[in-house]
Amino acid sequence: MKLRTKLTLFNTISKLVIVTLFVWLLPVLIKNINVNYTDTRLRKQRDEVLQTVKQQGIKSYIQNGESDYAAYTPIKDVYVSIEEDTLGENLDGIKNEVRKVETDTIAYRILSHNFTSDKKNYLLEIGISLDSVNERTGPLQSIAFIVLVGMIILTIVADQLYSDYILRPLGMIIKTKLVGTKFPNFGSYKEVKTTTQDFQHLDLSIHQMIQTIESTFQKEREFISNASHELMTPISILQSKIENMFEEETVADELKVRLLEMQRILNRLKSITKTLLLISQIENDQFLKEDTITVSDLLQEVYDEISIRLQDKNITFEMVIHEDLTLTRVNKFLLFNLFFNLVNNAIKYNRENGTITVEAVKEGNNYVVNIIDTGIGISTADLPIIFNRFKKLKQALQQDSFGLGLPIVKSIADFHQIKIEVISEKEVGSMFKLIFSPL
Amino acid sequence: MNVLIIEDEKALARELEIFLSNNNYICEVCFDGTSASEKVAVNLYDFILIDLGLPDYEGLDLLKEAKISNPEAAYIILTARAEINDRIKGLDMGADDYLAKPFSLLELQSRMQAITRRKFGLKNNIIELGDFLVNLTDRVIVHNGDEISSITKKEFDLIAYLILHKNRTVTRNQLSEHIWGSIINDDYDSNYIDAHIKNIRKKLNAHASPDWLETVRGLGYKIKIST
Repeated sequence: MKLRTKLTLFNTISKLVIVTLFVWLLPVLIKNINVNYTDTRLRKQRDEVLQTVKQQGIKSYIQNGESDYAAYTPIKDVYVSIEEDTLGENLDGIKNEVRKVETDTIAYRILSHNFTSDKKNYLLEIGISLDSVNERTGPLQSIAFIVLVGMIILTIVADQLYSDYILRPLGMIIKTKLVGTKFPNFGSYKEVKTTTQDFQHLDLSIHQMIQTIESTFQKEREFISNASHELMTPISILQSKIENMFEEETVADELKVRLLEMQRILNRLKSITKTLLLISQIENDQFLKEDTITVSDLLQEVYDEISIRLQDKNITFEMVIHEDLTLTRVNKFLLFNLFFNLVNNAIKYNRENGTITVEAVKEGNNYVVNIIDTGIGISTADLPIIFNRFKKLKQALQQDSFGLGLPIVKSIADFHQIKIEVISEKEVGSMFKLIFSPL
Repeated sequence: MNVLIIEDEKALARELEIFLSNNNYICEVCFDGTSASEKVAVNLYDFILIDLGLPDYEGLDLLKEAKISNPEAAYIILTARAEINDRIKGLDMGADDYLAKPFSLLELQSRMQAITRRKFGLKNNIIELGDFLVNLTDRVIVHNGDEISSITKKEFDLIAYLILHKNRTVTRNQLSEHIWGSIINDDYDSNYIDAHIKNIRKKLNAHASPDWLETVRGLGYKIKIST
């Protein structure tokens, strides 16, 4: 999961939790607020009534001869009653109680208050119906909810925009320095613009890392190139010495056989050195790409060189050119060696009376050359390492090879931007697919 | 023929000298560019073999210099630095051939003979081998006036190489280096030469026995031509 997605997810989830918690608590909160508010109102009304009684006497409510006073609004949501208190109990306080008003039984929040006027004790009751109290709860709740949701959406959007903005340099680093191009990318260093120190540090570290890798690569290439060059002269001397000794009449035949063995071993050293040199020359871009050749001609040339090797195991070679392609700006020598090595492998690892099919086809936009054999195949576990230098697979051990055939193929293919795919099944055969980049 | 060998690796220069002297060339050896420069100024050579990697001299400069005093000589560049650019430059500057180290001495000799034929116009290009006539110019083998067309290019190359080194055992290594030398692959011991020889014998046998093509047991092949 991407960092941005994770951050967004966390933001959203944390906010949803808050909303849920709030929505769950909202009724309780609102109810509390309402009750407080109602109580305040009740107390205000009480003070109003007491004020009136103080200024105008109890007569403004209770006429002579009457024992109590009661008034209520038409829908009976508020009522006020004053009656003479004979019991002398102190009932000051606010509580919820049910009252019967005319024919209706209504639950009220009631404020009771004892007071004295004209030397008589009175009990004042002011009630506000609970229904009217609760009526306010609904709208309040929804307003609170809407505001809350609005705010949450706003913060999510803000978070999103900000994290987008703040993470953009990281995205750039990943896209341009790590995955966008082939890693390690030895292009020129382009600083990623950011004010975030961590990203600056990351960018710089990657750059330094790439530089280190680059210089190591460079050193390795130089080393291989120099080493193989340096080896050429001693090999050359040895070869000349062996050849001259071979010519000497005084050297007995059995010694000559041993000289040949020496020569054979020297050849092995020579092949390895030449191959390494070739690979390093390709990697150092020391080959020109100035040739033009058709695929069919190239394959025919390879066939002419290699056909003698088919005899040994009686292998059938089929060349199917569905579509020919003229390759321009290529190196013929290298491409020849690429095909030669692939076909050579197809022969080496084939079975008796096997088949090799080389087909050139167009697949969509791509031009593809498939080299298919009926050989021993490559196990799935080995597939990823077949292009590694000096990696000899177990089944290749009986062969006179030193594990540089496919690395050459790979270097040449890379040099020409040819993609290689390998499909193989043990004991059935392998297919090497060369995908030429669209022209 | 006079050959000047310019090679700073003394051991290699010595082997070249032995080999070429055995093959009736008259050799002089220089181990550095300065003495070579002096030698080419006063002497005339038929062949000048130049190692490009001289410690004291830019090989290509020496080539340029030598071409002035020895314009008729044939130049063969020998180098361990098998740079493509060197090769192109060397041939552009009038070198006749180019051999990358390590090379087979037989290969050197065959290149020298090819140059001799080209430069000095030797015409003895039809060789009689038993009942067969081998035409090295037209690259055909004829029996009783019939061209044996089934012989492939590779097979002819092998026969021609053996004829060039007639009466001498040529090893499988030397033969395969000659016909597959430029191919880079990871076989170091491919004895497909035997298969080629087998095919050649089969094709020729249909006309007459090619008893001049000898197998030297355990060593290689030889074409016998009595002179």
